[in-house]
Formats: sequence, C-alpha cells, structure tokens
Amino acid sequence: MRVEYINPFVEAAFNILTEVLKTEVKRGELYLKSSSMPVLGVTAIVGLAGDVEGRVLFDMAETTALTVASAMNGEKIEKNDELCKATITELANMITAQAVTKLHEIGFQFDLTPPAIFTGKNMEITDVAIEALIVPIETTFGKIEINVAIREKK
Amino acid sequence: MKTKMDFPNINKRKPEGLKENGKPFRVLIVDDSMFVTKQIGQILTSEGFDVAGTASNGEAGLEKYKELYPKVDLVTMDITMPVMDGVTSLEKIMEFDKNANIIMISALGKQDLVKKSLLLGAKNYIVKPLDRKKVLERVMMTLK
Repeated sequence: MRVEYINPFVEAAFNILTEVLKTEVKRGELYLKSSSMPVLGVTAIVGLAGDVEGRVLFDMAETTALTVASAMNGEKIEKNDELCKATITELANMITAQAVTKLHEIGFQFDLTPPAIFTGKNMEITDVAIEALIVPIETTFGKIEINVAIREKK
Repeated sequence: MKTKMDFPNINKRKPEGLKENGKPFRVLIVDDSMFVTKQIGQILTSEGFDVAGTASNGEAGLEKYKELYPKVDLVTMDITMPVMDGVTSLEKIMEFDKNANIIMISALGKQDLVKKSLLLGAKNYIVKPLDRKKVLERVMMTLK
C-alpha cells in the first residue's frame, strides 16, 4: 500500500484531534500489518470505493472513547451510550472529510460510506486482500490508531 | 450584608440570542448526529436562544419548520442526512417561506453542495468542526 494514502488521514486526525480535544497530540511510528490484528474496543469504520478502494478504521480503547467523547461534549460521559457513539462517529466524519478533500485534490476520486461503529472485546480484523498501515496517535486521553487499508482499483 | 444593589451591573452584555424586544430568537436544528444537535443546542441556549425544535433528517426538518412557522427565526441544516438531504430540505423550505433564514452545516469537502445551497437561498454556512465562536459569528451575521 502506498504511504501517500495514509498521510492525509494522519494529518487530518492530527488537525481535528488538536482542534476538538484542545490537547497535545503526538504521532507515533507507522507500522504495517498484513495478517489479522486485534482492535482496541471502540472502532469507527469508513469504507472507500472508486479509483481507490478499501477501508479506514479509527480504533481506540473504550476508556479512551469515553474521555474523548466527554471532552468533545464538555460533560462527563460514563457509558458507551448513544451520545458517546454519535460523538465518535462525528469525530470519524470530520477526520475523513478533511483527509478525503486532500486525496481528491491530488487526483483520487472515490465515494465514502457513512461511518459505522463497532464495539466489543477480543475482536480482530482481517484484511485478506489488502495490507494495513497503522499510525498510532497519542493524546492525553489515550491512544487512537488510524488504520488504513486502501488499494488502487485494478 | 451585600445585596445585588451594591454591585450594579455595568457593561452588562445582552445575550446574542435575544431580540430587541427581549424575546429569544427561535431556532430549528436539523441534523442526523445527536452529537452535533446537542453541540449547536448548547452553544445557542447559552446565549439565550430558544431551540424551538430539532429534526434528524431533511423531511422531518421540513415538517417541523411548517409546524413552527411563523414562530421560527433560524434553521441550522446539516447537508448529508438520510431520508432527505439538507439541500433538498432547504429548497422545499424556501418554496414554503422565501424569507427563511437557513445556515448550512457542512463537513469539509462539500464546497459544491454549499455553493448550490447558497444559490438556492441559504443565508450562510459553517464548516465543521464547530466551535462556539464560529457558530455565534455566523448565526448573528445571518440574523442581522
């Protein structure tokens, strides 16, 4: 997978997280996964289809999702309820929109699915056909992994 | 004992959400995200606006507007929504009330739809992420 696909997502995540969380955000080391990998617990998924195809995950532990949602709502959210999920969905929406604008500018045309959230323990994701690049983003609220598996359509 | 009279309010700012007659501007929020609805609602109510109604898709927004009319001063309208999108809803509300004050709420990258909305009669737009300053600035620009 080409690194140029992931950079817009990492930049957008960095910009949006800094803006909405008003906290220090650091980018970790990028790594590659081609087999199954565990997901952290609260994961927003966005599908892409067009010149490029694949999916992007915004993956975090439930405790991180709760503190992120609390910060974005300006109130303590203690359960991964409808509001928490709506908040994480909106976060994924904003990051994706900024990243996709950048990708469209450099000439890739594709459509997106609305974000879906899946939650649970001991889950794994397997991408048989596409390897995934992962960039961990460290915030004071915990780690959020941007996990991108995209390929050019043949 | 100190009473309120000891500290007269000087330079007290009138909340932005109140009209000249002291009554609040009435707002309809149309958005499929519970988070965004709550965020806009909190920002506006903190300035004295009255959130007269909310709707989670364009069709419900249109119905709600007709129900509230003429006691509705402003609509915030998300662009991407299920059932009926925000641009279609805007168009239908403008057909019903050509003086409607509608602000489009857009994610980045929807410039074409924002442009189309402005041509159809939207008074303004706000690009997400939303914050208090951005929302109040655009709302007041629209209402003045």
